Amino acid sequence: MSDIRDHLVALLGDTFEVDPATIRPDATLSELGLDSLGVAELLVVLQERWGVPLDEGLGGDDLTVESLTAVVTELRADT
Amino acid sequence: MITPAHPPIAITGIGLVTPAGIGREATWERVCSGIPTAARDPALTGLPVDLACRVPDFEPARHLPGVTVRHLDRYSQFALLAAREAVADAGLDPATWDGDRTAVVIGSAAGGVATLEHQHSRLLELGPALVSPLTMPMFLPNMAAGYLAIDLNAHGPVVHTSTACASGATAIAAAADLLRTGACDVVVSGGADAMITPLCAAAFHRLGALSRRTDDPASASRPFDADRDGFVLAEGAGVLVLEREADARRRAAAPYALLVGHGASSDAHHLVRPDRSGAGITRALLTALADADVRSEEVDHVNAHGTGTPLNDITEARVLARVLGQRGAVTSTKGVTGHLMGAAGAVEAALTALTLSHQLIPPTANLHRLQPGIAVDIVARHARSTRLRFAVSTSLGFGGHNAALVLRAA
Repeated sequence: MSDIRDHLVALLGDTFEVDPATIRPDATLSELGLDSLGVAELLVVLQERWGVPLDEGLGGDDLTVESLTAVVTELRADT
Repeated sequence: MITPAHPPIAITGIGLVTPAGIGREATWERVCSGIPTAARDPALTGLPVDLACRVPDFEPARHLPGVTVRHLDRYSQFALLAAREAVADAGLDPATWDGDRTAVVIGSAAGGVATLEHQHSRLLELGPALVSPLTMPMFLPNMAAGYLAIDLNAHGPVVHTSTACASGATAIAAAADLLRTGACDVVVSGGADAMITPLCAAAFHRLGALSRRTDDPASASRPFDADRDGFVLAEGAGVLVLEREADARRRAAAPYALLVGHGASSDAHHLVRPDRSGAGITRALLTALADADVRSEEVDHVNAHGTGTPLNDITEARVLARVLGQRGAVTSTKGVTGHLMGAAGAVEAALTALTLSHQLIPPTANLHRLQPGIAVDIVARHARSTRLRFAVSTSLGFGGHNAALVLRAA
């Protein structure tokens, strides 16, 4: 789980240029400045890295750092 | 004094990102040196022809924020850099100009074709879920124009033109019309393409269009030479800032040159081969001269399309000889830059403007033995300093598109 969270936090900071200070567990992707296109981009990267199926029915920009980490972690456990 | 039928259009800013260099000055210097840029390209390794003219040392992250780099295909990155250079060069500021009166017209033959190829291979290898949602915004050929509008606060007409290798010239002609009709006051206009991809190189090779001189890349692009055997694929962008001359003078902007006429025609003859009679090119040229109210014997210089394919050069040169006689000094800057596809017409319009402002004609690289039957004065080996008033830039595209722009020294 921490690997997944670390990857997500690094992605948000490095690729999406989100200020690391704002990347709190309960911050929504929308609050971090990602629009629907940004969320779709992020999900593709996570799917490729973790080998899990993610789609936009997940909740889009209402997802938080924590909830998205949990979704990926659960899907990983299922595979 | 004869009153021109149309208000002259001032070219007040130029931005260039080309194989000859990043930036207007770097490009101009290299083009005037006559030193070719073609080289074997690592991205094309394994193909029958792996020659290309690539923008040197292009690291987009050095010029643009990471998000912008990620969201734009290479062709749009070129367009954006060239446009910003052109606007700054014109002394205009998008933050304060009247965006509603500002237009963008950008030509491109293929748009983000590299993105399309890359994402297509992901679809085949990884499946549909891993196709990037950015594929369409990066690939669509209008997106360079669309992104420039956002970046430059341009809320007037924003248009993409596509006439294959004449796209950039078609864009500038359309831009001039927007100014003539009063639809806007400033147009940011040019062309951009980034087609150095395995698919494009293989496809052009299958058409027999590319030079096969892989053993001697520097000599591969040789317009008007008897030993030419095709063009060399190149990439980049050229962008001009255009305003009505009266508006430019009012704000004390010094134009590089004036765009005084344009003309276009179609061969309506063959998908990719030019009509050997040259009737279509002649019509575009004569239409442009008539539009500019310039007599053919007044043309001092032509920046020719001059791709280095056997058929293009002889057909075009015969037309120039017939229409202009021995008077106009002709060059093809593609000997240095290679063929920038949909950007070519815009880059060459910019080089024609610089030729007029410097009163210096860049040489046609690699012209050692003139093709027999060509009876025009072609500038070879060294740049030629001479008195120039009127100049023409010609652009021809697959599909039979012919375009000519007439420029006057400012």
